[in-house]
Amino acid sequence: MAMKEQAPGRCPEVWRPRDAAEACRLKTAFGPDGVFTAGGTLLRTQWESGSAAMPGTLIDLTAIPGLAGIRADEGQLVIGPLVKLSELMRTEAVATAFPLLAEAVRRIGAPSVRNLATIGGNVASAVGDALPALLVHEAELLWHTGGRTETTALEDWLADPGRAQGVRLLTGIRLKRTDAEAPGGPPGRIVGAYRKLGRREAFTPSLVTIAVLGRLSEDGTLTGVRMAAGGGSAVPMRLRAAETVLEGARVTPDALVRVSEAVLAEYRPASDAFAGAEYRRTAAANLIAAEWLRLAGAGREGDGR
Amino acid sequence: MMLSRETAGGRWRIRPDGPDKVTGRLAYLTDLAAPDMLYGLVLRSPHLHARIRAIRTELAAALPGVHAVLTHRDVPGLNAFGISRQDQPVFCFDLVRYVGDAVAAVAAETIETAERALELIEVEYEPLPVLDTPEKALAEDAPKLHPQGNVMHSNAYKRGDVEAAFAACAHVVEETYSTPRQMHTYMETEGGLFVPEPDGRLTVYAPTQHGLLDRLQLARILAVPEERIRVVSSPIGGSFGGKDELNIQPYGALLALAAGRPVKIHNSRRESVRAGLKRHPMTIAMKTGIDASGRLLAHRVRIVADTGPYATLGAEVLNFAAEHAIGPYRYANVDVESVSVYTNNGMSGEFRGFGGNQAIFALEGQMDRLAELIGMDPWEFRLLNLRRMGDPGPYGQTIAQTDGAYQVWQKLKESALWHQRKIGGRCAGGRDADVRDAGGKGSGERKTAASAAAVPGNSGGNARPPWIRTGIGAALVMHGFGFGVGLPDPAAGRLRLAEDGRIEAVFGYEEFGQGLLATLETLMIETFGFAPDDLRLVIGDTDRVPDSGSSTASRTTAMMWQALRQMERPFRRKLLEAAAGLIGKPVESLALGPGGVMSANGGQRLIRYADIAGKTAEPIAVETHFHFPTSDTDKFGAHFLYSYSAVAVKVEVDELTGRVRVLEQYHAVAAGPVVNPQGYIGQIEGGSGMALGYALMEDAIMENGRYLTGNLDTYLIPTIADLSGSTAVEPIEDLPDGDPYGPRGIGEIGSVGLAPAIAAAVYDATGVRVNRLPINPALLIRKPEELWKAVSGQ
Repeated sequence: MAMKEQAPGRCPEVWRPRDAAEACRLKTAFGPDGVFTAGGTLLRTQWESGSAAMPGTLIDLTAIPGLAGIRADEGQLVIGPLVKLSELMRTEAVATAFPLLAEAVRRIGAPSVRNLATIGGNVASAVGDALPALLVHEAELLWHTGGRTETTALEDWLADPGRAQGVRLLTGIRLKRTDAEAPGGPPGRIVGAYRKLGRREAFTPSLVTIAVLGRLSEDGTLTGVRMAAGGGSAVPMRLRAAETVLEGARVTPDALVRVSEAVLAEYRPASDAFAGAEYRRTAAANLIAAEWLRLAGAGREGDGR
Repeated sequence: MMLSRETAGGRWRIRPDGPDKVTGRLAYLTDLAAPDMLYGLVLRSPHLHARIRAIRTELAAALPGVHAVLTHRDVPGLNAFGISRQDQPVFCFDLVRYVGDAVAAVAAETIETAERALELIEVEYEPLPVLDTPEKALAEDAPKLHPQGNVMHSNAYKRGDVEAAFAACAHVVEETYSTPRQMHTYMETEGGLFVPEPDGRLTVYAPTQHGLLDRLQLARILAVPEERIRVVSSPIGGSFGGKDELNIQPYGALLALAAGRPVKIHNSRRESVRAGLKRHPMTIAMKTGIDASGRLLAHRVRIVADTGPYATLGAEVLNFAAEHAIGPYRYANVDVESVSVYTNNGMSGEFRGFGGNQAIFALEGQMDRLAELIGMDPWEFRLLNLRRMGDPGPYGQTIAQTDGAYQVWQKLKESALWHQRKIGGRCAGGRDADVRDAGGKGSGERKTAASAAAVPGNSGGNARPPWIRTGIGAALVMHGFGFGVGLPDPAAGRLRLAEDGRIEAVFGYEEFGQGLLATLETLMIETFGFAPDDLRLVIGDTDRVPDSGSSTASRTTAMMWQALRQMERPFRRKLLEAAAGLIGKPVESLALGPGGVMSANGGQRLIRYADIAGKTAEPIAVETHFHFPTSDTDKFGAHFLYSYSAVAVKVEVDELTGRVRVLEQYHAVAAGPVVNPQGYIGQIEGGSGMALGYALMEDAIMENGRYLTGNLDTYLIPTIADLSGSTAVEPIEDLPDGDPYGPRGIGEIGSVGLAPAIAAAVYDATGVRVNRLPINPALLIRKPEELWKAVSGQ
């Protein structure tokens, strides 16, 4: 049974469920007035700015065993949603197998924020800066939905994050080394990059985030090409048309122009008083193209020429 | 010689307030608490502009735990404040004019109870048309925000005939510059503790830049004699002008007296943003013409400033901007008109640089554009038109002469950073690669095609990608300090041998992080030979200090230096005479030293200061009062003392994103002798950090009169990652023979020149002229087809 902790003043009631099923039962019981929380960093900015009211009830997930920690086995990694961003950054298995994710997380907030914020919250927000990196790694989300566990591709979930009916709790983020990423796959080497554009050099909300990943063969041909972009209040998305341009192709100036055009057409950026959509579109296209140019060049250098 | 820890040698001291600050031991005034303390909160207007129909406080007053609920009906004295013009109501009674306007205040036993009480106060408003731009406020049919209308202040200066001169010009540049609403962003938000004392006096522990002026303003509001109020105002967690005007003090004072208990108020960051001062947004239109040889003939300036709902020092800021829009250049024909306009936007007011930041961004922009028109190096163009020693000030007024303008010009020209530019190559893809012109519309259109550039990875080593462009730019600043003609600008100081043997240096100044205490300590050590342990530095307490004037306008170091210069001989004589009498030696054989009076030749200590204290018939104390030196002109606000700086900067523009990074800065500063090397570097580096933010990211954006940047997650200031480039500071210390004024002010000048220098460097890098701050990356970003065409053909 969860312990109910009564807080004084206007603080919400805090419930601490012991397992996912209890968390879902609490959420069902409280409805919109009960809000899941772990690090609470995003919620606090929303309360402070007035963009969301402080709820009557917080359902604190941090006491649930099994939601923490990172499990690696058989070429896959399951990241518990309670894993702090700072822990994720420091985890060797993440840094070696999924460096784009480590880089993305390193660019979120500041150390004090990363010591509190969880990867689960970043994902569940649907606008977290880690998402483009997770998208190009084709992450899957594991959910507890009452009695059973459900798996959804991250890309599918992001297509409409509010779509799912009923109460569900994120219990894991699964990253598999797919064919394009697995060692011993087709010839060539895995290349990838993550970039975040903000309004200052560090500790900044994102304007644009991009991630690219692919396999570069010795002759400069790319396969398994994946690209994603997000940033600000934009829900990150795979850039399928841009991927098609480079799939099986080489990084030429002409290809870069066509990739950029595809990004400009396909990416749906946010817009606010600080940066317009047109600027963000252009920046996303430029950053993606420049990263491919750099990766292709580095790939050639890596051949020992 | 560059100023640094190494070159400063033994003058680089640990500042007296340093250890407690870096360890977190130091208690700021907003950290104080008192037994039985209540918490105060202010109810602020939800409307930008509305008529108040009714205010009902009964429900709030009846809430258990609430000890006072105040409105305009509860102000015993003047229901208004303002340093120079009292047009801001303590509590609004007929109109509210912005979303920070105060309507009521409560004191309660907990913050939660006070919040609940605010919700229970009922205010009926009738919304009125909103004037959220100076243009709307200046429209003929605009509602009047104040009885005299919406022009808060205007200022005009003319000499010669600019229109006739323009007709004779070979080249004319006309441009309109816009500057943002910058926030001071001190770490400690406004707040304080207000304590009614058993003897009926009120003690105010609240940051300000002029304790005695707060005391005067509070006495008017409370209708009590000034002597009944004590203001303790240091240490302060940053101010930069933002805490110069009253902020929460009237509410804390009124609540404490009404409740008969201590009251603490401390603004949240959101409330600080909402109610606090910002730098005036200005639109500055300049038309400047030269003859065929490049000599300036005519300069016309039109300034429109958005001062928000109330004056504070908005008139003085405008005067300063108008004077500095003329600057250190020679022109026969000048025509400056400026106006500062009341609006329903946020409060604008005093802020480090005081109108010079806006004016000099525009003026230096004109110089760069004119130089280009005539095909001259921009720095040589400045020299051609630069003031020389002996020239009058911008208004033709008498000023204290130095060769500062030429000195900083020369030093910058000789600097290694400027030399990088002159030897050409200008790093990768410089300004001659292609030229774009943002023009008056800021359109960012390109005039010529992009050049080919190297593909990264092919040229090997550490080649820069072609979309990274670097450029170098420079700007010159002539910055007046002190208040200028027509304003009371007192100075004073006191030296005393205290009963416990400490030497007290007493000034009515404030320590808000600038290093005032360290500067005073250094002055005392170097003037008299005292040791740090001999001293007690007394500031920031109206019960103890003389009226030294405010800690604003870059004036305190100069005023302390001048005060000590006046007090040095009498104080030394009194101490030595007392010592001579006690130890029976001739005065001439004695000298002051660390710990006590020494033998003048041998350096041996003969008597400790503690053994002199209390042993003399007369107290050993001297005091001086004087006025900040002013010009003999009758032009209001004209300055007499000036500091000069020249700033060079190297930037990197990433054309993938349009973002600008500052790589390297060089500051030459001509401001007389360096009193406190650490403080000097701190002021120039710290000021330039603010200027970097002003140029590249800071803007408290208002939409329909409301801040979109309510906290520091949206209002972004530079972090260490943005300030990682190197900064060299080269002071020019020499002054003309016989100069009686000593060190000049440097508290603000560092915050001025970097922004126009960055704009020049961005042009050097990209060919895009910017006329608006902060620089919008959308003007500098390149379209994909341009970028990748540049790569093709390799």
